[in-house]
Amino acid sequence: MDKNLSNRTETVEPQAASAGVTLDGRYLPPPSDGDGKLWIRTSTLIHADPLELYERWRNLESAPLWQEQIEQVTVTGDKTSHWVMRSGDKSIEWDSEILADEPGRRIAWRSLGGDSANAGEVIFERSPGNRATMVTVLQEFRMGKLTSAWETIVGRNPKQAVIENLRHFKALAETGEIPRVEGQPHGPRGTIAEAKKSLYGEKVPTPRGEDRKAS
Amino acid sequence: MKALCWMGSGKVEVHNVNDPSILNPHDAIIRITRTAICGSDLHLYDGFIPTMEEGDILGHEFMGIVEDVGPEVKNLQRGDRVVVPFTIACGNCEFCRKKVWSACDNTNPNAHIMEAAYGYSGSGLFGYSHMMGGYAGGQAQYVRVPFANIGPLKIENDLPDEKVLFLSDIFPTGYMAAENAQIKENDIVAVWGCGPVGQFTIASAFMFGAARVIAIDRFPERLALARSLGAITVDYSAEDVSVLTALKDLTGGIGPDSCIDAVGLEAHSTELQGIYDKVKTALMMETDRPIVLRQAIQAVRKGGTVSIPGVYGGLLDKVPFGAAFGKGITMKMGQTNMHSYMKPLLRRIEQGEIDPSSIISHRITLEQAPEMYKVWRDKEQNVTKIVIDPWAA
Repeated sequence: MDKNLSNRTETVEPQAASAGVTLDGRYLPPPSDGDGKLWIRTSTLIHADPLELYERWRNLESAPLWQEQIEQVTVTGDKTSHWVMRSGDKSIEWDSEILADEPGRRIAWRSLGGDSANAGEVIFERSPGNRATMVTVLQEFRMGKLTSAWETIVGRNPKQAVIENLRHFKALAETGEIPRVEGQPHGPRGTIAEAKKSLYGEKVPTPRGEDRKAS
Repeated sequence: MKALCWMGSGKVEVHNVNDPSILNPHDAIIRITRTAICGSDLHLYDGFIPTMEEGDILGHEFMGIVEDVGPEVKNLQRGDRVVVPFTIACGNCEFCRKKVWSACDNTNPNAHIMEAAYGYSGSGLFGYSHMMGGYAGGQAQYVRVPFANIGPLKIENDLPDEKVLFLSDIFPTGYMAAENAQIKENDIVAVWGCGPVGQFTIASAFMFGAARVIAIDRFPERLALARSLGAITVDYSAEDVSVLTALKDLTGGIGPDSCIDAVGLEAHSTELQGIYDKVKTALMMETDRPIVLRQAIQAVRKGGTVSIPGVYGGLLDKVPFGAAFGKGITMKMGQTNMHSYMKPLLRRIEQGEIDPSSIISHRITLEQAPEMYKVWRDKEQNVTKIVIDPWAA
């Protein structure tokens, strides 16, 4: 299957595997964690055209609109980009390279050094019965410095962050905004409110969802 | 503004808090003219719903005047009078398109909590815990309404607030309960719980063509309201009354075609099983007290339908699933798909088919709300429904 990248000659660790969920009519379970790698595969159904979704994802510099705590993405070449993730005064940075780029179908990438060792693939495909577009993300993290750095600054398990980012991506594509409660009024909070906030995932700022500088 | 805040189990207080502001392009800010206390607010008050935090603003039944709208809200403008549904829906996801609005994919910022507990998350709700989105509620002077392009129903008649306020939750909830009960012309329907949702369920069951509605409760004022709607009432707390026997007696021995549980997880019982559930929930061995649900499954006729508008939250013990299977029954339930019902039910109110304000027993100020929560929970002062004017002194 051409979705499998393992036959590429330019293999450098880490390396993306296929995000596909079936092979020859059989369900394909997600890869298991091990050998210093964490895997997360997650899917969502989005009522939008695959090409439109591909373009939204492929517009890397707009990633901060829907990816949690990504402060800036700078495109540095035809297939390369520089990523900055920040929380308060802490930040991590890495370079990323696109390995596969098929408009309306899929994008695969991997990091090229820096503070994060990750690789991933996103697939856009019409759902059975052509109801909507199924978007599947497979992401791999190298454990160690990345995971700890990520969790420290993000306040979210990196696997959950992938799930939340896909959720934000879907909300933005379907509704033009990402649901949020930050900034709404409330009465006096209790003493353990901060600890609870992180339990609810409310410590992570909701990505802004639209470019307000423009308006 | 002034707002009623949840401050712990059994504790609600009025606090001065910041006014809400537009946070997203489809938001609106509503100046609340009337808001109500719901039976389901008692599940929060009693600490049955996890992920409530001190300072959370309560309230999911409210209406008012549009004060401000976000840049993408084209259907409303400042000054419009609206009733707001308690479930928040985006209008464009798979579930909104299927009109299962309460299952909306895109309105719960904390969906991951519900996913962990339920497999998938439902829509966000106003003032109903962080797992349901953490949205500030409407027992306040102002509220922020997300996805105001989809939810709020414009009221363009001169009917008083009290007649249309209950389109925000309990009238549609009672109506969907009757619809879920799959009532056919001349059916016999039993309704457990004659609180506000129960009353609207009874009225709606007749709208669907029920020939007889049997209403079960223990509070005389509620049973009287039910009789005023045409129901036959059964006081389950009376010494020689067995609900199951009563329902056989009132259906020629075959059982009701539809049984509707308008009570939910905090059911009360005079029987031994009531004590059993109290002990088990106290010991955290079950989360809900499914006394009514057990009875409804037991009582319904062969091939009948059990409809559940009453709220359940967690794990239930000793639910007679064998009886459900053995009789081949259908069960339908869930949060109300508000957005499908508000307009048609407004029409019924406008045409004078029903006057929802007839269930109101208490009209209060926001300052009175904390003591009235207690009255509401303890069912004192013949309370049937409490409406708050958040601007009254």
